Amino acid sequence: MSDESKRKEESAGLMEYSVENLVPFGPIHPALKEPEYFKLILEGEKIVQVIPRIGYVHRGLEKAAEQRPWVQNMYMFERTCGICSFVHSLCYAQAVEGLTIYEVPKRAEFLRLIIAELERIHSHLLWVGLMGHWAGFETLFMWVWNDRELVLDIVEAICGNRVHKSTNAICGVRRDMPENMTDRVVERMKYIVDRAHYYRSIIDTEETMLKRTENVGGKVTQETAEKLCAVGPMARYVGLRQDVRLNDPYAAYDEVPFDIVTRTEGDVRSLLRLRLDELIVSANMVSYAVQHLPDGPIRVKIPPIIPAGEHSSHCEAPRGEIFYYAKSTGGRTPDRVKSRQPTMANIPVALELLKGQSLADVPMVLTAIDPCFGCMDRMSFLDTETNENWTWSGEQLRQYGIQHYFPDRFKTQQVRRLP
Amino acid sequence: MPHRKAGAAIPEMFRLMLEKPTTEAYPFQPITLPDRFRGKLDVDPDKCTGCQVCAIICPAGVITMIDKGTRKVGDRELPVKRPLFDLSSCIFCGECVDNCAFKALEMTKQFELATPNKADLMMTKCVDKK
Amino acid sequence: MSEVLIQHLQKYADEANGKVTTPRKGETFIEIDQAHIKAFISHVVNDLRVLWLSTITGLDLGQNFGIIYHFSHENQKIQVKTTVPKIQPSTDSIVGIIPGAILYEMEIHDLFGLMFAGNPWINQKLLLPDNWPADLPPPLLKSSKPAEIRKRLHLEVERK
Repeated sequence: MSDESKRKEESAGLMEYSVENLVPFGPIHPALKEPEYFKLILEGEKIVQVIPRIGYVHRGLEKAAEQRPWVQNMYMFERTCGICSFVHSLCYAQAVEGLTIYEVPKRAEFLRLIIAELERIHSHLLWVGLMGHWAGFETLFMWVWNDRELVLDIVEAICGNRVHKSTNAICGVRRDMPENMTDRVVERMKYIVDRAHYYRSIIDTEETMLKRTENVGGKVTQETAEKLCAVGPMARYVGLRQDVRLNDPYAAYDEVPFDIVTRTEGDVRSLLRLRLDELIVSANMVSYAVQHLPDGPIRVKIPPIIPAGEHSSHCEAPRGEIFYYAKSTGGRTPDRVKSRQPTMANIPVALELLKGQSLADVPMVLTAIDPCFGCMDRMSFLDTETNENWTWSGEQLRQYGIQHYFPDRFKTQQVRRLP
Repeated sequence: MPHRKAGAAIPEMFRLMLEKPTTEAYPFQPITLPDRFRGKLDVDPDKCTGCQVCAIICPAGVITMIDKGTRKVGDRELPVKRPLFDLSSCIFCGECVDNCAFKALEMTKQFELATPNKADLMMTKCVDKK
Repeated sequence: MSEVLIQHLQKYADEANGKVTTPRKGETFIEIDQAHIKAFISHVVNDLRVLWLSTITGLDLGQNFGIIYHFSHENQKIQVKTTVPKIQPSTDSIVGIIPGAILYEMEIHDLFGLMFAGNPWINQKLLLPDNWPADLPPPLLKSSKPAEIRKRLHLEVERK
């Protein structure tokens, strides 16, 4: 082996592995706002390999869950993530409810659907704003987050809090809809749909966004996405009709009419259109559900001891499929709880997307997979042609991307490769 | 195919300049909170009987029961305990409020709880009561 | 559709001396012993075209480790269980059949100490810190105590 290719393999530190030209890599850790470390191996401007390292904010939740009673675990798993916290507690509650003999009341299922879809709307709006931020289009970021505040006002009026909603209980929900909320919710959802149509038109016509997102991101085929077990929008944007709400309906999803959105182009721009379309579908679902709420109780009180058995449950979070497995030996604390977040399943596909891209596209592509954080902490780079080795922060990488695409706009702040 | 142009967002910019700003002027103006807002916990010492349900159910370990002597019931001596609240650990979930059978707990709308002195966040109303 | 699927699964399970149970509607558990697990999963993925692997769970069952492969197909959940004895904690990897399983096996290796032969990245640490002491048992075993882990990793917090 020549010296250079041997050094390539040593610096990669890992063996090549291929099944029909697929090279899966290590994951991005599925938690909110944790530092992750990427090592990008470049040839000139093109990325050849990406080596991430995760586990910086591993909190040992699965071990901690074995020592706490069933109800207290719900609050702990709710705090796995801030953006999709309701879906985590919902999936855990469903996994435990399968072990009991009680059924969830109908009104509670509709309320769970309403809050879960409101969470999906706020999460997608957050993501569209972040794409604007990483592209250099700060104004879009401000406008989209302004509209997100209106959605969070509705959530606060129902649940009492914006982020950690604490509304789920095992076999029910803890709070009912307030009085006279129906008209307010329907009007607010109509406004959000209008704004989503406007943002759709911006990403289709505005030169800034088009330059940064059209034909960016490697082409991933349907077969690759299936073999690498991609979930959520990362599977739907190559044409797979894969959505837990459609394939295996939970809560009230079999009673509220909706259709899922798929696209076939396979670049970052189609992801933007897909998430905005999903947002519009969710807003219509909330309007329908609020107007067709059945009457009845919202909760069934259950004893603190769960019978022995094992059960698993999955839900559709804004980022993909969340999976929970619970095993009980008939005590007050669980024997084993396993939670798998969607970002972990999307890592191999994400690293496929990065190969062959230029350095300036890295922020957009990495944010496009919607990892359950939104910031990149430290990155180190190795250029194999010139033997340069340097480190940038996330902000420096973002400035480099903006300068690369719009070199006339930012004359004052230049980012150089070597400090 | 929509027409590609630069500055497609400029009409929106003019529209938003004429509206009032969305930034809330807190802390120079009071902030409006919804009815269900979950703020600092408050306890009514007259209603609390020391049944310990709140201490058992709290996910964050905020409540400790303190021995306050005994009382005579018939010809037995039963222990009397009262809760001590360490609100610096509270996660504002509201489980204690939901489970108190005597309606002694409620969540107020107070959220400005930052303090450099941890002793400010210890609620000793029930323990201090004679 | 789901009855046909369960009939095929029963047929493959009988070939491998496995046991099929359906405790709830829509959920099927299949127990296979360690020697036949790779062939069974190959049948499930390649012949029945059940491609959606949700995750792989590890369990600590006293004398043995348990491994559960969770598959989803339309509205059926198919969970394939197997056991591996603790005195010989090594089993075959399935990345040759499903490349997407690579991370789940790395996670079980980190948290339980179970080796998957054939996984090219198995010796990389996924979740554990670089300074994990070599004589400390893997964290998710029942014998491993959180207080001990905190002490060895110098994570103790002064409580006043």
